[in-house]
Amino acid sequence: MYSELKGKNFEIISVAQDTGGIKDAGQWITAAKPEYTVLIDTKHLVTRLYNMVNVPTAVWINEKGRIVRPNEVAYVDNRFTSMHKIEAAPYLDAIRDWVANGDKSIFALSEQQLKAQLEQQKPEWALAAAEFALAEHLYQSGQAAASIRHYKEAQRLNPDNWNYKRQAWALSNADRDYGTNFTKEVQKLNGKPYYPPRRLPEVKK
Amino acid sequence: MNLFLIIGLLLLTSMIIAAEPNRRTMIYDGKVTEVTSNSAAGAADLWITLEDLKRATGFENKPKGVCRDELCFPLPKARKSAFLNQQGKATWFNLSEFARLVRQPVAFDVEAAIWFFGPRADEQNGYVSSLKAPDFKLPDLNGKLHLLADYRGKKVLLLTWASW
Repeated sequence: MYSELKGKNFEIISVAQDTGGIKDAGQWITAAKPEYTVLIDTKHLVTRLYNMVNVPTAVWINEKGRIVRPNEVAYVDNRFTSMHKIEAAPYLDAIRDWVANGDKSIFALSEQQLKAQLEQQKPEWALAAAEFALAEHLYQSGQAAASIRHYKEAQRLNPDNWNYKRQAWALSNADRDYGTNFTKEVQKLNGKPYYPPRRLPEVKK
Repeated sequence: MNLFLIIGLLLLTSMIIAAEPNRRTMIYDGKVTEVTSNSAAGAADLWITLEDLKRATGFENKPKGVCRDELCFPLPKARKSAFLNQQGKATWFNLSEFARLVRQPVAFDVEAAIWFFGPRADEQNGYVSSLKAPDFKLPDLNGKLHLLADYRGKKVLLLTWASW
């Protein structure tokens, strides 16, 4: 999609939320040979700044730097569609429409619509982000055992944040250190969708 | 100076630092600083000197409040002693109490002697009213830094993913 849209004043900035940095994310980037911009975010800064809770999540930003679509699950291909049941095509069409029509696109939110959707960070989420950041620092400075109690605290304070869970589990033996793992937690959802649904308006044809 | 003497002095210094029970690590605005604290071991609040306050955070205690450049937070008069404590020549400052005053989340680990101060609520939530995409600077695979604001003038699809 990027090669189709890149000449149209459009940029993709894809940010890896990976504590392990290039060691963990690098092979994926090299394999994908992307033409767009790929950045490495070892401190999960973008997750914190935008209050994101899962991946892949995207935000649309217009030419003036205003958000025009807030956090939303953003599958741009169908590699995992059998698992999460989200088709990429309607999302890709929405992006095409936005690139062609800008703020006038039905997929770009007005300031008023956006204000109704953006949320202040609750104090317990702010504390969760601090606990997660402390855990990251402890882990990266070789204190993995101490990091676990702070990853757990972040998970407790903001249980909807899957990034806090999945990153922590990936850095350890999840069953041993957290008494659970990703597969078990997804099963616990009991058929409820793993991602909140996209809210793409219907296109009139 | 004799090389052995230098090594000896370095070793001695490092031993003194290691044995120093009042050393704490703090992270403020992402910056890691080693500070001295007079908090009791195991205490939740972090008291530091005004010198360390300036070194680690950029904030200074002034007559009109605790300030960094134009930004000033007046300390509540009735509760000054909760923030400042004079002991001999040193004035100690309760950075944890200050964090509560300015609505800043704090995570700490007493055993690891480390305190992490997150962004103030007004910094974190600024974009909810301004609607401006929060800016950041991050490296690509080759280490080149990219600033989101440098892409102004283009539409940007900001996408997060992970290897896990």
